[in-house]
Amino acid sequence: MKEEIELIKDGKRLDGRGFDELRPIKIEVGVLKRADGSCYLELGDNKVIAAVYGPREMHPRHAQDAKMAVVKFRYNMAPFSTDDRKRPGPDRRSVEISKVCREAFDPVIMRELYPKAGIEVYVELLQSDAGTRTAGINAASIALADAGIPMKDIVSSIAVGKINGEVVLDLNAVEDNNGEADMPIAMIARTNTITALQMDGRLTKEEFERGLKLAMGACHQIYELQRAALVTRYNQNYESKKEER
Amino acid sequence: MGLEIVSDVRTDYVCNLVRNGKREDGRGFREYRDISVERDVIKRAEGSARVKIGDTDVLVGVKVEPGTPFPDTPDKGVIITNAELVPLASPEFESGPPNENSIQLARVVDRGIRGSEAIDLDKLCIEEGEKVWMVFIDIHVLDDNGNLTDAAALGAIASLLNLRIPNERYGLTGENTLPMRDTPVAATMVEIEGNILVDPSFDEGNAAASSVTVISNADGTLSGMQKSGSGGLKEAQIAEMVEIGIEKAGEIRGKYL
Amino acid sequence: MYQVVVPGDFLSEETKRAGEGTYVEEGKVYASQYGIASERGEIKVVPLSGKYMPSRGDVVIGKITGISFPFWIVDLASPYEARLHVSALSGITREQIEFGNMSEYLDIDDLVVVKVMDVNALMKIELALQEDIELRRGGRLVEIPHTKVPRVIGRNGSMIKMLKEKCNCFIFIAKNGRIWIRGKEDDMDLASMVILKIARESHTSGLTDRVAEFLDSFRKEKERG
Repeated sequence: MKEEIELIKDGKRLDGRGFDELRPIKIEVGVLKRADGSCYLELGDNKVIAAVYGPREMHPRHAQDAKMAVVKFRYNMAPFSTDDRKRPGPDRRSVEISKVCREAFDPVIMRELYPKAGIEVYVELLQSDAGTRTAGINAASIALADAGIPMKDIVSSIAVGKINGEVVLDLNAVEDNNGEADMPIAMIARTNTITALQMDGRLTKEEFERGLKLAMGACHQIYELQRAALVTRYNQNYESKKEER
Repeated sequence: MGLEIVSDVRTDYVCNLVRNGKREDGRGFREYRDISVERDVIKRAEGSARVKIGDTDVLVGVKVEPGTPFPDTPDKGVIITNAELVPLASPEFESGPPNENSIQLARVVDRGIRGSEAIDLDKLCIEEGEKVWMVFIDIHVLDDNGNLTDAAALGAIASLLNLRIPNERYGLTGENTLPMRDTPVAATMVEIEGNILVDPSFDEGNAAASSVTVISNADGTLSGMQKSGSGGLKEAQIAEMVEIGIEKAGEIRGKYL
Repeated sequence: MYQVVVPGDFLSEETKRAGEGTYVEEGKVYASQYGIASERGEIKVVPLSGKYMPSRGDVVIGKITGISFPFWIVDLASPYEARLHVSALSGITREQIEFGNMSEYLDIDDLVVVKVMDVNALMKIELALQEDIELRRGGRLVEIPHTKVPRVIGRNGSMIKMLKEKCNCFIFIAKNGRIWIRGKEDDMDLASMVILKIARESHTSGLTDRVAEFLDSFRKEKERG
C-alpha cells in the first residue's frame, strides 16, 4: 500500500490549479521543414513534436491495403525526456500507446481516398510530465491537418485522474505517480465521439462518469485552441505581409 | 525528336552555382547559415541544448546516472554518445535500430569530446571500482536540412558546459558542476567543383562527392576528424580544410559557447 | 478577406453544391481539409497543403525512378508512381526499344513531360509522353507544392505572363508543382527566386503587385550595376 502524499491543499492542487483546470497549452504549427505537416505542442511541462509524412508510397508492399491508406503511428520518447534515461527505441509501452493513438484517428482520417498509400505520423516526446499521449494526439491532429490530410474532424485529447480521492483534470507527473487513477481519452469535439479511452487505477462508476464528463468538456477547450492555432497561422501570415508593404 | 534529357537537376544546379561562385541561399563559400543555440530546454535532462543551423534542427540532451565502471578503468566515469535519426526529421529516415549514418554521427561527436579530453573522467568517479557517473549524450535530430554533424557537436558541448551532476537525486554529495577542460567544435566542409564550402546545405551535401568534418579545440589543436562520402581528396585540399575548419570553429566558439 | 477552415468546420446546408475538400453528413456540408473556404460555384475548400493526386488529362513533369520492361516507372510528386510504356516513345522515335536498351532513351533521374491517360481504382496510372515540350539540359527545375500552382499562374494567367516577360525565360508550369525554366543563368536565378517567393507568400493579398514591384526594382538595380 502506497503512502498517501498530500496532493491537494485548501481545494487547490500543488501547482495551484483547480480540479477542473488544464495546464497551460502552447501550440506552434508547421515547425519542421522536411515534414509534410508538423506541430510543436506544450502541455504543462510536456514538450512534444509531431510530424506527418504522406500520403506516400507504402513500403513494404505487402503492408499495403488495396482499398485504403495504411496509417502508421509512432510514439517515441527521447532518451532525455524522463528522469531516468529511457533506453532508445520502442518498448512494450510505446508500442501500445502508438496503437491506441493510431486508432484514435481511425474514425476521422479519410483513408479510402488513398488506396495502397501510407500516412505516417511521428510523435517525439522531448520532455515528459504525464499525459504524454494526450499531448501527442493533440499535436498529431494539427500536424495531420497541416499536411493536408483529408479528415472529417480534428481529434482532441486529455486525461482525468483521481488524486487524494478527488477526480481532477489533466494530471501532472507528481499527481500521476501518486494518484489513484488515470484515464486518458481522445474525442471528436464536434460530435462528442470518444475515439480513445484507457483507464488504469481504481474509480467508482460515479467517479468514472464524472471524470468522463470533465475530460469531454476539456476536449472542447483544447479543440478551440487547436483550431485557433491552425487558423491564426495563415491570418498572421496575411497580417505580417500586409505590414511589410 | 532530340531526346536530350536532363538528369539530376538539383545536383546540376548546385554545381552550376558553385562554378559561378554562388550558393543556392546566397551565402559565401566560407559562410555558415544562421546559428542559434538554446540552452537548458529540457527540464528532465541534466544538460540540454537545441541547435539550429539554418533549417537544420537538432536537440541534444544529456542524462547523468550512476553506474558501474568498466573493469579496465575502475576510477573513471563513462561517456556514451548516441544519435537517433528519428523518422520525424526526414522523409529518408526510417524507424528501427541505428543505421550506419546515425552511428557515424554519434561516433564523430563522441570522438571530438573524448579526443579533446573536455571531460575529466576522473572527476566522475564516485567509488572506485564500484560506482561512477555515466554521462549519456543523446542526439535527437528534429529536422535534417544538411550538416547534422556540426549542429550535433555544438549541441553536445553546449549541453555539457551547463551540466548539473544530480547528486541529491541519488543521495550523494559532491560537486554539482563538471568543469569543462576544453570546448571542441566541429566544422564540416564539402568539396564541389574544386571549391571548399563550409556548412553544406542538404542539397550541397548530396551534390558533393565527399565531406570532411574537422573538430578542433580552443587552442587550435585537432581532436577528431572524419571524411565521409565516395569522392577522393588531395593533400592540399585536406590541409586547406583543416585550416578553414579551425578558423570556423574558433568563430563559432567565440559566438555561441 | 478569406476564411480559413479546418477539418470538421461546418460550411453549408446546401449539400448539392458540396465540392472538393468537403464531405456531407446528415444533410450538412463540412470541411475535410485545412484550407480556404470558397463559395464560388460549388462549396469547396482550397487546401493549403497536401499531395498532388493524378487525374486524367493532367500534364505533369515526371521523374524516371525505375525501369521494368516494358515500362518506365515515373515519379509524379504524388503518393503513387505511374508507368510509361515503351510504345509511348518508340512511336515517336520509330526505333525498336528493347528490354536491354530502355535506359538509352530514358534513364533513372531523367525528367519527362507526360500526360495522365488513365487512373484506375487501384491507382494504377498510365502516361503518355508530351513531345511538344522538351526538357533540355541547361534548363532548371523548381519544385513547389502543387497547391500553390494556381497562384504562380495567376488569375487568367496574369502572373505567369508577367514572369515570362520580365524574367526573359521560357517557363513551363506542370500541375504537380514542378516548374521548368529555361533561359540565361541570371534570368533563371531571378525566375526561380520569384517563383519560390510566390509559393511562400501565396496566401497574402496584393501578391501580383508586390511581385511586379520586386521584379522592377530588381531590374533597375541591375541596370545601375
